[in-house]
Amino acid sequence: MQMPFRVALAFLAPALMVYSLLIIYPALNGFYLSLTDSNGVNRANYIGLANYTRMFADSSFTTALRNTVIYAVLVTLMQTVLGLTLALWMGKLPWLRNGARVALFTPGMISALIVAFVWSNIYNPLSGGLNALLSAVGLGGLTRVWLGDPNTALIAVAVVNAWMYSGHSAAIFLANYLSIPPELKESAELDGASGWTMFWHIEWPLLAPATTVNTVITVISALKVFELPFIMTQGGPGGATTVLNLEIYKRAFSGNDFGYGTALTVVLLLLIVGLVLLQTRVLQARELRL
Amino acid sequence: MTQAKVYARSSGPQYKRKVWRWPTLLSSAGLVLFTLVYLLPLFYTVATSLKTPLEIAQDPLGFPKTPRFENYFEAASKMNYLRAVLNTVFITAFSSAGIVLLATLAAYPLARVRARWTSMVYQYFAFGLTIPGFVVLIPLYGLMKSLHLVNTYPGLILIYIAGNLPFSIFFFTSFVRSIPAELEEASVLDGCSPLQTFWYVVLPLLRPVVGTVAMFVTLSIWNDFLLPLIFLFSPDSRTVMVSVYSFLGLYGYNPATLFPAAVLGSLPLLIFFFFLQRQIIAGISAGAVKG
Repeated sequence: MQMPFRVALAFLAPALMVYSLLIIYPALNGFYLSLTDSNGVNRANYIGLANYTRMFADSSFTTALRNTVIYAVLVTLMQTVLGLTLALWMGKLPWLRNGARVALFTPGMISALIVAFVWSNIYNPLSGGLNALLSAVGLGGLTRVWLGDPNTALIAVAVVNAWMYSGHSAAIFLANYLSIPPELKESAELDGASGWTMFWHIEWPLLAPATTVNTVITVISALKVFELPFIMTQGGPGGATTVLNLEIYKRAFSGNDFGYGTALTVVLLLLIVGLVLLQTRVLQARELRL
Repeated sequence: MTQAKVYARSSGPQYKRKVWRWPTLLSSAGLVLFTLVYLLPLFYTVATSLKTPLEIAQDPLGFPKTPRFENYFEAASKMNYLRAVLNTVFITAFSSAGIVLLATLAAYPLARVRARWTSMVYQYFAFGLTIPGFVVLIPLYGLMKSLHLVNTYPGLILIYIAGNLPFSIFFFTSFVRSIPAELEEASVLDGCSPLQTFWYVVLPLLRPVVGTVAMFVTLSIWNDFLLPLIFLFSPDSRTVMVSVYSFLGLYGYNPATLFPAAVLGSLPLLIFFFFLQRQIIAGISAGAVKG
């Protein structure tokens, strides 16, 4: 279609201006800030890569990096396994499918802030529901100070994250599952496949697209987690749940160490981009092999 | 005996279809039970929100003896709830309108003009999808401050518009590409200006996708907490999430205030979800089938 350059540019102008001013300009500024000693008050001095080299000797950074990676792995494993199980379960029970899908989806609709407040209370050792429930069913030996124990705190937060979004994962797996042509499963059935064989040789390979989408989405959102540990543990106990975004927030907004804080955000960006590229390469190679 | 066996075998499939087999029954009961257990934290939240502090302390799992709706009135008035809901609705409405307008305007030439410069502009917008929030946040605060837009509604709305442009442009462009250009060409022949063509021909065709984008924007803005905390903090202009946060920060983790506030904070969005569940779930699952 004929559209003169002037006209096309006029259509694009408002979006280009708002986006360039409020996203691209600050982002470039952020990359520059990470090369300075800016603290928001004094004049920022260019210090090259000093903020980046400082990280290697900074034990709170290495702890945060380790916590973030462990957290992302925990969340992705739990959410994928639970989402897949639920999707197959729902897929085989058409009459319950829609109701269960909506119900399981609901926790993910509530804001992470509110979920975090509610679960900190559920985990509360004194008045919380979880310990009371465990005692009530005779598992009193399992009661714990869930968020106060460095051994359980990170897992406890990861469980909440997986609880919120396993319904999302299940919905994505289910959409993929329902798009598998029934003839494929019928012919496999005629060949005598059932149960585990059916899952392993037919369903699981055909669910490859949903597996890619799910794990990529889950890893990205788990690496960027902020509200859950911010409200539930403030990064404690003893740094056990301090993830990168929390460390960035502390450095930049509480410590006014803008330069170092933005350098950490750049590292988080590289981590996300790197992992996503790796995942899509591995998982899409798997899709293509089929 | 043999005859009976043959009879049983031949009638097998029909028998299956008509009557519940017990593995299916068991599996169904299992799924229902699992779903109920999965939603226990939600039931717990509602039940606890109606209890007295004493009941919560003595019997955390029990039901309230007489539901105390005063809990809600107290929380709502201390949180300045109605004001916060109005603020959030106002911000969401203007942000969604701005996003839809700017993104559809931009998507139109991006989809229709096949040239190197348009594909570069497209890439430039797509780049925004990868930038994590905090990289932008710190310098953005300084920028907004120098523009005198910190702690104003237009400031936060502009940030939401800018931040949501990449994904919406992405969405709208691929949709415009999928509709044939003949209608637009006809309207140009009829003497319409490009803007008229856009407004009367293109935009109406985009209605279903506009709904999807507006829905996702609403979900994300309602549940957002960090941006309004940083950019819109004065007590009168607080959004629901900021008011939940400041209210609960003030009263600590006192369950008698926490649970009613949690229900009040989530309820409007859960109602929204209840009515639009089909579209929301379809929107989120779409990626899986397209691959």
